[in-house]
Amino acid sequence: MQAIKALGATAPSTLLSVVKKGGFAPIVDQIRQTHLPAPKPNETRPYSPFQDASNMAEMAVARLDDLLNWGRKGSIWPMTFGLACCAVEMMHIAAPRYDMDRYGVVFRASPRQSDVMIVAGTLTNKMAPALRKVYDQMPDPRWVISMGSCANGGGYYHYSYSVVRGCDRIVPVDIYVPGCPPTAEALLYGVLQLQKKVKRMKTLQVWYRK
Amino acid sequence: MSLGKIFALDKVATFFNIIRQNGGIRASLYKLYRQDELKDGTLVGEDKYGNKYFENPRFFYGRNRWVEYNDKAYLNYDGSQVPAEWFGWLHYKTDLPPHKDPSRPKYKWMADFTENMSGTTGQYVPYSTTRAKVEPWVPKSKSS
Repeated sequence: MQAIKALGATAPSTLLSVVKKGGFAPIVDQIRQTHLPAPKPNETRPYSPFQDASNMAEMAVARLDDLLNWGRKGSIWPMTFGLACCAVEMMHIAAPRYDMDRYGVVFRASPRQSDVMIVAGTLTNKMAPALRKVYDQMPDPRWVISMGSCANGGGYYHYSYSVVRGCDRIVPVDIYVPGCPPTAEALLYGVLQLQKKVKRMKTLQVWYRK
Repeated sequence: MSLGKIFALDKVATFFNIIRQNGGIRASLYKLYRQDELKDGTLVGEDKYGNKYFENPRFFYGRNRWVEYNDKAYLNYDGSQVPAEWFGWLHYKTDLPPHKDPSRPKYKWMADFTENMSGTTGQYVPYSTTRAKVEPWVPKSKSS
């Protein structure tokens, strides 16, 4: 997005207006939601999910994407956003037993320097604007892990007058971790799933195809 | 206590033993790269997906049973690739691996195990048979 804005200074204003109106959104979806074919249990799985390059240029771009994704997935820094009891489990994955540091996942207290926001706990109506603001302050690319039933869909407080029925009404969610609260193990698995998702991002390939 | 133990020479012997068991220096380095861990253990069994299960009581409880995923998975292994039969043994629910446990239920109608397919085309997608309570607002575009 930063690059698009920088481009906007020189590009015609029509392009900028398209970006502002959300004309860019399909491309973002294209980057993010690339589903791979289902793996068969006994076939070889290469490191890279991009194996269908038809010429040298596409191949080069795919390998560059691999490099970019490798860097991104190896240093996912979550924003500390503990809202309720799930935050206790979120603390556990930072502790030595589950030790998220070995995956390069380090808690960062500033939204401007973090990649992923772990929404841990009940999102109340009062907290929702703050959550959205923190999300807006994060730089692209950014991801959201919704942790626990309350953040997934309201959970126990679904029928409460003061609770948002799922944090996906406020921010786009990448990974949903079920549980009430999810174990630290489950959250760590969610982080690993996010790593898988980051691995198949097609940032440069989409840029090249345009 | 022998002299070798006092000077911790048995640890050196264990180190070389681990290297030997994992198939030499090259293979050991590859294993270290792939699973960040180099251990020696006895092979308890192998499931039909080619994952190998090891045990070594010398390690601390909780780390003394482990799985080495099929080489074909390379770095794309995942905890959900451990099938249900081996899950219990790996997580200390039982001490009997599936091929030594006669009391496990086995019926024709039991579904085959699948790993977590999220993010692929084989993923589970829930659907609702009732009408949605909330309908998204589709704004009318001014242009065109």
